Amino acid sequence: MTTALTSFLEASVRTATPLALAALGELVVERAGVINIGLEGIVLGGAFGALLGAGSNNLALGFAAGCAAGVAVAALFGVFAVAMHADQIITGTAVNLLVLGLTGALYRGLYGATGAALTIPTTGAVSLPVLSRIPVLGPTFFDQPPPTYIVYLVAPALWWWLYRTHAGLAIRAIGERLEAVRVLGVNVPRWRCVTILIGGALGGVAGATLVLSQSGTFAEGMSAGRGFIAIAIVVLGRWRPMGVLIASLLFGAASALQYLFQAMGWSVPYQLFLALPYVLTLLALAGFAGRRVEAPAALGRAG
Amino acid sequence: MTTSSAALALENIARRFDHVRALDDASLVARDGTVHALLGENGAGKTTLMRIAFGLIRPDAGTIREHGRLVELPSPAAAIALGIGMVHQHFSSIPALTVAENVALGGHGAYRVDRVRARVREICDRVGFALDPEARVVDLTVGAQQRLEIVKALAHGARTLILDEPTAVLAPREADDLLAMLRGFADTGGTVVLITHKLREALAIADDVTVLRHGSTVLAEPVANVDSNTLAEAMIGSAPPIEARHERTEPGPVVLSAHELSVSDARGVTRTRDVNLDVRAGEVIGVAGIDGAGQHELLLCLAGRLPATAGYVEGPTTIGFVPEDRHRDALVLEFDIAENLALRDAGFARGRLVWPRIRARAAAMLTEYDVRAPSSDTMVGALSGGNQQKLVLARELEPKPRLLIVENPTRGLDIAATAAVHARLLGARDSGAGVVIYSSDLDEVLALADRLIVMFEGRAREVPLDRDAAGRAMVGAA
Repeated sequence: MTTALTSFLEASVRTATPLALAALGELVVERAGVINIGLEGIVLGGAFGALLGAGSNNLALGFAAGCAAGVAVAALFGVFAVAMHADQIITGTAVNLLVLGLTGALYRGLYGATGAALTIPTTGAVSLPVLSRIPVLGPTFFDQPPPTYIVYLVAPALWWWLYRTHAGLAIRAIGERLEAVRVLGVNVPRWRCVTILIGGALGGVAGATLVLSQSGTFAEGMSAGRGFIAIAIVVLGRWRPMGVLIASLLFGAASALQYLFQAMGWSVPYQLFLALPYVLTLLALAGFAGRRVEAPAALGRAG
Repeated sequence: MTTSSAALALENIARRFDHVRALDDASLVARDGTVHALLGENGAGKTTLMRIAFGLIRPDAGTIREHGRLVELPSPAAAIALGIGMVHQHFSSIPALTVAENVALGGHGAYRVDRVRARVREICDRVGFALDPEARVVDLTVGAQQRLEIVKALAHGARTLILDEPTAVLAPREADDLLAMLRGFADTGGTVVLITHKLREALAIADDVTVLRHGSTVLAEPVANVDSNTLAEAMIGSAPPIEARHERTEPGPVVLSAHELSVSDARGVTRTRDVNLDVRAGEVIGVAGIDGAGQHELLLCLAGRLPATAGYVEGPTTIGFVPEDRHRDALVLEFDIAENLALRDAGFARGRLVWPRIRARAAAMLTEYDVRAPSSDTMVGALSGGNQQKLVLARELEPKPRLLIVENPTRGLDIAATAAVHARLLGARDSGAGVVIYSSDLDEVLALADRLIVMFEGRAREVPLDRDAAGRAMVGAA
């Protein structure tokens, strides 16, 4: 029983990691009033970048390449959505479709369409000394692949940046009322671009995590909606880093339930578990509906 | 008044917006350590002039000096750097952020909450404000939001404060406190420019006063040299009426009557108090009043666009209404003429739109109401202001309403279009409608009205059709 529970919790955190990375990035973007639907494409681009980068068994290079690919996809979004004032939703959707097609074509061109899955070395779990010995919590939180520890570092750093620097304050203000901030001499497009690139970097690492820490391979469209789930996580997490972490865990747990149920020997159709995160989103959002809406007021507005 | 030592001197400023001359020859010299009242009727150019002083608008002509030095103000940031701060009528703080965060906005580097909090407290202590640095702006009262605007300006180092009608949103007690604070700020060497149309306020706290009329400075004096009569005359002018015409027909039965009517604005401030009014068929009730005296809310309520907070209105179900801001409240500029005319029934008509019939009717109405447009599928945004207004009138008069309510019907129109609109309004009266007209131009009201109601601080009073009597009533003089 204890092992089943521990492995369920461990799987929850592991599954939550790429979601949390992508959602933290999207959080910053949305606080600047930009909704980047292209996150799905960023994650997929990051995964493909990681595949290319890790070709020579260099995992660090793989993460770096995934991050760079995410930034590149985000930059494409930024050029249209911020610099050229194109509609954010349409631009994001176009980016998603473009990345899906591009990575698919490149993958087949480079590795053939035989369907034989590539095997890429993965990062194993790294036990943190002392911390990983704590009962239950230790194996759950501190015996994880490195990207999980990136989440632990990035979340407080983003919180500090958003709430304790003037840059963060300006970004949050842009997301609420960009005219008022522009009057103060704040360069709205510049800050929006900065946040979009940060979102791209984190989304890219999220994609690299899928390849280099979880599956050990690449498949077409392997982001499988995680970018969209991350956007829902931002809403559920009320646009706050801590909220996003908790919401990510919730989604991770929903996905990991299937392992727990398998371990317990209960036979429930697995499709039910696939649908669970989405049902959860709907329920959670409906529960919040009566409360004061805290979405950035200028979300989606051209700057 | 010399300009060399003045904190802020605007000289011979001119500015046009498209074809409308907002400022012609406006000057204002605000001396160090004084409160300067900028007076004028609605549309006289007060706000435009001050937006130029704050770098929000560039002037077409004229100069700006700061302590004698010629300056350019390409942006608000440039004005802020020169120690100029502005408190707008519509507050610029961000509701979702705290007081301290709003004050810190625009800075660089690490944001030290404790330091900003201390700075807010220090400024509040200095000027005698109570304001919680950690409160979120959404939770603040209107008065507190305004205090925040002032604290923000002071935190940015403002030595010259421009306030646009600051007391308009305040309760009398709050207004007194604010004015006392501004007086104190000036007494310690700061400079205040107070945009207002309240003579009493100007006379009570200002050292100097400038009056704008139709975009030009018509009076600039120390307050000691003026009284409420000279100021009222400077504001309203003594030009002859537009055209005298009173072929008053005998009015018919009452079509609308208001009983002890009180109305609040969107912020919940009571604007109109205990108004009793009868409108008869075939008469024009002219409404006059300085901007903000309650006429806007009264007309909206009579037209059924705003609920009464006390009292009630008995009136017809079909009411023609021509709002003040036709771009915002009357027309959808991105729709074509026929679509805009069809909007007349939006909200209560159901079912299918029969476009051929609507377009045919629209084409006939264009001729009937002399709207100059190529066809009924012309975008309304492409029409001139005069034709847009004629279109609004056409739409509102089409169902032959027994009551027509009109606000500032000729704002921004040229002489020919103005005459056409006037003729149309009088035509509606002559065909038996009761008409209520408010205009910020007293001469226009006098030219059209059969009876005159003057609003002052929310209360209505019937006044003889006489320019001097109306002018006195508008500023609360007996």
